[in-house]
Amino acid sequence: MESQIHKIHQKLMNKEITCTKLIQDRLDLLKSNDNNTVNALLEDTALELAAKVDAKLNEGKEIGLLEGIPFGIKDVYMVQGTYTTASSDLLKKYKSSYTATAIQKLLDAGAIPLVKENCDSFGHGSSSENTIFGAVKNAVNPALVGGGSSGGSAVNVAKDYTAFSIGGDTGGSIRQPAGYNNVYGLKPTYGRISRYGLMAYASSTDCVGPIAKSIEDIRIVLNAMSGKDVKDQTTYESEIISDEAVTASEEIKTIGYFKNFIESDAIDAQIKADFLAAVEKIKAKGIEVKELDFFEADTLVSTYYTLAMAETASNLSRLDGTNYGNRIEGANLKDTYSITRSENFSEETKRRIVGGNQVLSQGFSDEIYLKGLNLRDQISNNFEKDFKEVAIILSPVTPSLPPKIGDSLKDPLAMYLSDAYTVGFSLGQLPTLTVPQGTATGLQITAAKNNDELVLKFANFLKDTI
Amino acid sequence: MSKIMTVDVLSSIKGAQSSETVDKLFEVIKNANTTNSNSLSVKNNALSLDDLREDVVIDSPLAEKEIIIENFPKEKNGYLVVTKVIEE
Repeated sequence: MESQIHKIHQKLMNKEITCTKLIQDRLDLLKSNDNNTVNALLEDTALELAAKVDAKLNEGKEIGLLEGIPFGIKDVYMVQGTYTTASSDLLKKYKSSYTATAIQKLLDAGAIPLVKENCDSFGHGSSSENTIFGAVKNAVNPALVGGGSSGGSAVNVAKDYTAFSIGGDTGGSIRQPAGYNNVYGLKPTYGRISRYGLMAYASSTDCVGPIAKSIEDIRIVLNAMSGKDVKDQTTYESEIISDEAVTASEEIKTIGYFKNFIESDAIDAQIKADFLAAVEKIKAKGIEVKELDFFEADTLVSTYYTLAMAETASNLSRLDGTNYGNRIEGANLKDTYSITRSENFSEETKRRIVGGNQVLSQGFSDEIYLKGLNLRDQISNNFEKDFKEVAIILSPVTPSLPPKIGDSLKDPLAMYLSDAYTVGFSLGQLPTLTVPQGTATGLQITAAKNNDELVLKFANFLKDTI
Repeated sequence: MSKIMTVDVLSSIKGAQSSETVDKLFEVIKNANTTNSNSLSVKNNALSLDDLREDVVIDSPLAEKEIIIENFPKEKNGYLVVTKVIEE
């Protein structure tokens, strides 16, 4: 798929279309769409920004590559003056007072935000059904879920409503919906992009990342958002990834895949067959493919959810309706807190908060939480060992095809287990890209920490290989 | 004197109860093998003391303050109204 950003940029530069027309057309598409991708349209500001780009072009001035490019924002990012609901009742009327660093960088580069996008409430879900705005419908088959939690973002990109969208990935929330809607989605190395202004779910794995239709667009947006930020002290300086570095024909000699992911009884037969066929095509190019040992799916999922629930219970404890949010008055202060939270959080969010408080409480923390941390260390050490042997780990994105709308809400355990292939890389804080190739829900490409460039390079190689 | 805190109190969620689904996840952790190492790392998120941001007060811009006030669930004369704090 060609770069949408370059294509739109050329059209604007050649005056084949005005920026105002481009933005108005996309807004109209978003307005009339029935996939439930929109929580709020940013119509007025988008058109104002478009008029400025047109004025610049009419004066014969050059515009930057991202100037005038329409994009979407998952509704968990602060953008000053816009509603930021996290798809929840609690924050239905909450307005951001400031702008997230990652989004500010895109605004500074001239990109135009069109929409706050539907998602699972506070990122709690893998289907984008846990939302007050209606379940997001899959871009390919609207009877199926859009995936989650960044479902609205992936569907908007797949449908060409936005040139790219910014999702958030804690346990697979960019990669899985990208796979379900046949687009690219990158979870960068943890800390490469600032989390400042991203509503916190599980802070030790929360990542900001782009969803787009080409590797080139992922590269451009990743470069624009990366970098150290004093407002998020887990961020680090990173090098710009050049186009040449991604397209260079320098060979990757050895890759690996987790044997137990593919031999599992839970994997769909077609996904398994397609994955193994992709591996054969890679081997045919002279690349050695090693089978690697990894943790069982239930251990990965349980470790991830235990830690994520503990972190979300802490992060969401601030949401009590005191300073902001939909406060419901009770008989006294404590009553006000508990009614506000009970009435305004979804069942899934409550399940995770309660689970998190359980594992953090005395008597449980040693037996579960600390053991979970120990397992996370073992998982990280396993990755370190693997990346001494292979440059890239390849895996399916999901064990199964997207479920029908309604099925995930009925069976939360099945939903948690559907994250089996994505959560391990989150715990390892590794850069992982979903590419819309290889299996019906795509493939994941993972490299060692800080090696985001290698992930894009291998994706570029796969584009012409399978 | 110990007082048992129930999950609804711990979570400040009226009527909250633990979930069987989540308990199943916890069972897996309880039965998993752990290493004896005490090096609970998540080490890579440790910060260098030489690289902390300056400890200075930065006044928020007016636009930011106005939105913060706009978000007050209950407001009187520009002040946030909170529920009376009870004594136990």
